[in-house]
Amino acid sequence: MNDERLDLRALDPTRDPERFERTVGRIMDRAALPLAARRTRLSAVGQVTRWWRPMLAVAAALAIAAIGVLTRISPASPAAATPEPGVAEAIGIPTTVATWMVSAETPTAAQVYTAFEEEQ
Amino acid sequence: MTATRELVQRARAGNGAAFEELVRGHYRAAYATARALTGNDLDAVDVVQDGFIRALERLDECDPDRFAGWLLTIVRNRAHNIRDRERVRTGASVEDVDPAGPDRTDGRTERGELRTALDEGLAQLTPVQREVLLLHDLEGWRHREIAESLDMSEVMARQHLFQARKRLRELLSHDELKEYLQ
Repeated sequence: MNDERLDLRALDPTRDPERFERTVGRIMDRAALPLAARRTRLSAVGQVTRWWRPMLAVAAALAIAAIGVLTRISPASPAAATPEPGVAEAIGIPTTVATWMVSAETPTAAQVYTAFEEEQ
Repeated sequence: MTATRELVQRARAGNGAAFEELVRGHYRAAYATARALTGNDLDAVDVVQDGFIRALERLDECDPDRFAGWLLTIVRNRAHNIRDRERVRTGASVEDVDPAGPDRTDGRTERGELRTALDEGLAQLTPVQREVLLLHDLEGWRHREIAESLDMSEVMARQHLFQARKRLRELLSHDELKEYLQ
C-alpha cells in the first residue's frame, strides 16, 4: 500500500492568512446574533436560578404559616367546633344556631323556631 | 479533547472568543469535507461558513467530546444541499452532475497551475475518496478519526486513501508535478 502522503498544501484554506482572516471574520459577524441570543437566554435562566432558592424559602415559610393558621381555625372535633358564646351573641346569632352551622347536624324547622324563640 | 469540550461549553454560554477558537481549530477539517463534496473552493467556503453558524445554533445538541465529527456531519449535509440545489437549478440528473461540481474558478492564472491541476485531479475521484484524502493528507486526521466521522471501518478508510492517492498520482503525472507529488 502506498503510504506516501500527498502534499496538498496548495489546497490549504489557511495558506493565505488574509483570506483566512476575512473568512473567520465573516463567520464571526454572522455568529454575533446567535451568540448574543445565547448570552441573553443564559442571563434569563441565571436570573431565575438566582432567585429560585430565596423564592423557594419564602414559599416554604408561607406554606408552614398557612398550615399553622389552618390547623388553628379548623375544627379538630365537634366540641372544638362549638363557637364562643360571646361571639355568636355579639353578631346576633343564637348560640344553638351557631352550633348547627359548624356541625353536620341538620335541625328541624321546629328546632329552629324554638331556638329563635328562646333567644327572644 | 478537553480543550474542545471547554470551548464548546463556553460557546454555548455565548462566549465569542471560544466560538472563534472552535472555528479556527476546525476550519481546515470542515473545509476538507466541504471541498470534497462540493468540488470547488467557493462553494466549500460558503458551506463551511453556513456549517459553523448552523453548528452554533444547534450547539446544545452536540456531545462536546465529539464536536469535530458532529460538525463535519453538519457540513456534509450543507454540502449535499448545495449539490441538490445546483442539480435542480441546472435540471441535470444525478448521473449528469459532475461530482466536482461547477467550476467557479477563474482559471490557472489566478489560482496557480498546481492548485488547478490538483482541483482537476480531485474532480476525478469519488466524493468519499476526496474526503478521506483531504482529511488525511491535508488536515492530518488519523484513519480511526476518519473512519468514525464517515461511519466506515478503518480498513475501508485506508483503502479509499490508497485508491485516491494512486488515482491522483496517475492523473497528475506531468513532469512539472512529479517532484511536487514526491
